[in-house]
Amino acid sequence: MKILIPLKQVPDSTVRVSVAADGKSIKTEGVTWSISPYDEYAIEMALERKDADASTVVAVVTVGPARSRDALRQALAMGCDEASLVVAEETAAPLAVARALAKVVEEAKPDLVLCGKQASDDDQGFIGPALAEVLGWAHVATITKIVPADGAAELWREVEGGHEVWKAKLPALATVHKSEKEPRYPSLPGIMKAKKKEIPERAFASLNVDSSAPALEIVAMEPPPARGAGKILKDGDAKQTAQQLATLLRDEAKVL
Amino acid sequence: MAMTAIETGFDLTLTEEQELARKTAHDFAAEKVLPRAAEIDEQAKIPRELIAEMGALGFMGAYVPEQYGGAGLDVLSYTLIVEEINRACASTGVALCSHVSLAVDPILHHGSDEQKARYLPALASGERIGCFALSEPASGSDAAAMRTGATRQGDSWILNGTKNFITNGSIADVAIVFAQTDPTERHKGIAAFIVETKTPGFSVGKLEKKLGIRGSDTAQLVFQDCRVPAANLLGEVGEGLRIALSTLDGGRISIAAQAVGIARACLEDSLAYAKQREAFGKRIADFQAIQWMLADMATEIDAARLLTWRAAAAKDAGEDHILAAAEAKLFASDVAVRAARDCVQIFGGYGYLKDFPAERHYRDAKITEIYEGTSEIMKLVIAEEILKE
Repeated sequence: MKILIPLKQVPDSTVRVSVAADGKSIKTEGVTWSISPYDEYAIEMALERKDADASTVVAVVTVGPARSRDALRQALAMGCDEASLVVAEETAAPLAVARALAKVVEEAKPDLVLCGKQASDDDQGFIGPALAEVLGWAHVATITKIVPADGAAELWREVEGGHEVWKAKLPALATVHKSEKEPRYPSLPGIMKAKKKEIPERAFASLNVDSSAPALEIVAMEPPPARGAGKILKDGDAKQTAQQLATLLRDEAKVL
Repeated sequence: MAMTAIETGFDLTLTEEQELARKTAHDFAAEKVLPRAAEIDEQAKIPRELIAEMGALGFMGAYVPEQYGGAGLDVLSYTLIVEEINRACASTGVALCSHVSLAVDPILHHGSDEQKARYLPALASGERIGCFALSEPASGSDAAAMRTGATRQGDSWILNGTKNFITNGSIADVAIVFAQTDPTERHKGIAAFIVETKTPGFSVGKLEKKLGIRGSDTAQLVFQDCRVPAANLLGEVGEGLRIALSTLDGGRISIAAQAVGIARACLEDSLAYAKQREAFGKRIADFQAIQWMLADMATEIDAARLLTWRAAAAKDAGEDHILAAAEAKLFASDVAVRAARDCVQIFGGYGYLKDFPAERHYRDAKITEIYEGTSEIMKLVIAEEILKE
């Protein structure tokens, strides 16, 4: 089975992001970049398939700025077999990115495409379903497990109080909520193996995709308001404190 | 106009794989080691599975060539890993340092092809743990005065004696042991042996109770008619002291990196605390007295790291690194002790409590001025290097 994972490089979750001077973007100076966490789960899920069946081929691709090469190198060091980069402006329209990925998928001919369910920078969750739509493939959202089943795959999803098992004929696309294990660290031998691998690169324009798409424009970005001081209810017995708490939750916090 | 690194030939940028190795070690240390550091100190024990995980990630054989089952990185990458692990936990850090720099390294550099093929793969994968047995109850810095003896008997050497202060001593599967074959020859009679700790006649004596790095085991090793095959002689008879000293030259680079890691823990914990703790209506980070301590720590840590990297780069280039390693170790250990002192001071009363990490850093830092050559020995080494013709 060949599994392809389109991934996105995003600011690391430990980075405290701040708004740039233009008020419409985040400051990128000094930012540490990482593979988006749900994409890491997708990679781990694919590598678990490879651990179970060594004939599995796991490929990664990204459409993004040149610095995204580091994320691809990290994926190779985790154990992926192939990586390729499509260099694009960060402002490329999401639908055009999905079309570019569709071209890559048509060339690579994977049996399964796994996308993180959303990127941790913009949380749009757009690329997975859009790519399935452009390809005309079956799409199952937010899976937690894959079980291969003769020309098809069982795709497990967690739902309230249990799980659902979907069956999709391959090729298919799924977005990943979580892998069974936490994503592995790139081992040192993995890093040295990855060093020897080529990461072919091409320009977004060379794919000749239709770039007409609904234009999105970020009008403004602002940090959430600073959190005020907490309140400690100390006066009165348990019953009175509970009453005060309920009143405050209803009238002040407005959560009841 | 500023020149680029390529134009000046002076480049401190890490390569892609060095950066990835650092990131793996950083993430592993932050997620798997740091949360257990207080418990490791308290229980005076490193969980074996933590060492196994470091083995699986390739840390235990970081610069062992791939043909011997290692990761095949360079010594500089290894110092990056050592700094990250020690930033989280100095006990776990020194277990790594002693294994790689003091047990794996001498086999790699002085072992025969057969010894390398036999011992390196299992050591590099962390499946087996190594230790280095040089110090004795009556000889530390004066290693040539050792009393452990080795007598040739047919195809074997018979070892008798006691070794002290052996890091990893009680958990090791393989020990690099130095012994005197002919006391009249002094240092020319010393030989190094690869001893499997399951060999009859090898036993672990008492475990030391220590001020710091409490999770790392420090054991006495006892040899009573311990029969070691002649094939396990490392190098030649008479080369033992040279092997010990050159191994320690490399070991000092890792202890310098450990000291940088401990100092960085002091700085990072101090920064976090100073930004959050308030006194007299403002953050203590806004007081100049605190700022000066933080600024000194940051500057000294950067300087110590640069000395460490320089020594590691010299070792990677196959250059003489005696002076560079001694300078790095002398300076970095001093920086760690000072940073730990200021860290406790910034935490104030809380710095004295076990509930906060400052007191652990304070106890852990001190050993870096003592083991693998005290600061006084470092100065002797440095003076000898700069005074020689």
